[in-house]
Amino acid sequence: MNLIVNGEKYEHRGDGTVSVLLAELGAMPEHTAVTVNGDLVFAKQWKDFKLKDGDTVEVLTFVGGG
Amino acid sequence: MFKLGNIEFNSRLILGTGKFSDTATMIKAIEASGTELVTVALRRFNREKPSDDLCAPLAKLKNVRLMPNTSGAMNAKEAVRAAQLGRELSGSPFVKVEIHPNPHHLMPDAIETYLAAKELAADGFIVLPYIPADPVLAKKLEDVGCAAVMPLGAAIGSGGGLSTADMIRLIIRDSNIPVIVDAGLRAPSEAARAMEMGCSAVLVNSAIAAARDPVAMARAFALGVETGFAARQAGLMPKSDIAVATSPLTSFLK
Repeated sequence: MNLIVNGEKYEHRGDGTVSVLLAELGAMPEHTAVTVNGDLVFAKQWKDFKLKDGDTVEVLTFVGGG
Repeated sequence: MFKLGNIEFNSRLILGTGKFSDTATMIKAIEASGTELVTVALRRFNREKPSDDLCAPLAKLKNVRLMPNTSGAMNAKEAVRAAQLGRELSGSPFVKVEIHPNPHHLMPDAIETYLAAKELAADGFIVLPYIPADPVLAKKLEDVGCAAVMPLGAAIGSGGGLSTADMIRLIIRDSNIPVIVDAGLRAPSEAARAMEMGCSAVLVNSAIAAARDPVAMARAFALGVETGFAARQAGLMPKSDIAVATSPLTSFLK
């Protein structure tokens, strides 16, 4: 499945759920927020939320900021 | 003790977490400052540098709450989205609304900030907007349910000090919510002055993170804030245009 993840082309080989995508990326689920095509996907939905070919995914975390 | 929304704070120093040379120094500075509220920013997860993530080290700190900011937002719509993401990620009701579209001066966009703050306050956030030192805007933000207003002392990261002191005094005079100077402070004496003027707290980032010894500077700011607040509680003496003698001016030496 071809996705755009954080602005870059990304080939996802898993089952197309957000949970598996995050594991693939090495992101810590409890420290991550996700949007799909601009919409916030809540953590409790990740196991069941099916991505589609061409989806734009943003995987976000906290960094230092004032 | 002062309140933001329904939450009480003992420390009147809020820390920004940007610009620190490394996470260990940042954590030590937070501890040295005694702060109970720190700002964080949202960024894309970096697969190459997962260690950039601040959630894990910050989660270990006791009695420190997170206040996600909306930096990067160019307008109210983007700020609202950033705030929602920040709340999802942090579980914290606090949001620092900052919308500054011009990277040269980073001055807040008053109109977009107002629109975002209004929407977020209605959505149950504890909203602290970063604003120009404008008493009219500050009052309008109070009216739409902001928990505090955060006028700038000088441009972000500039170290320009309390250049807006006269306007901040006007904001404090009319405000029924906490006024927090955010941005521009360089020295603990400026934090003390802000507190003496009647600010409820100050938010400091660059002055600590970019100091030669950030941990020692964090402690110095904590002392500055404490001193200024204690002085305000004590009540400053009135000013006089002429000298008022402290020793008896008797004529026995004539």
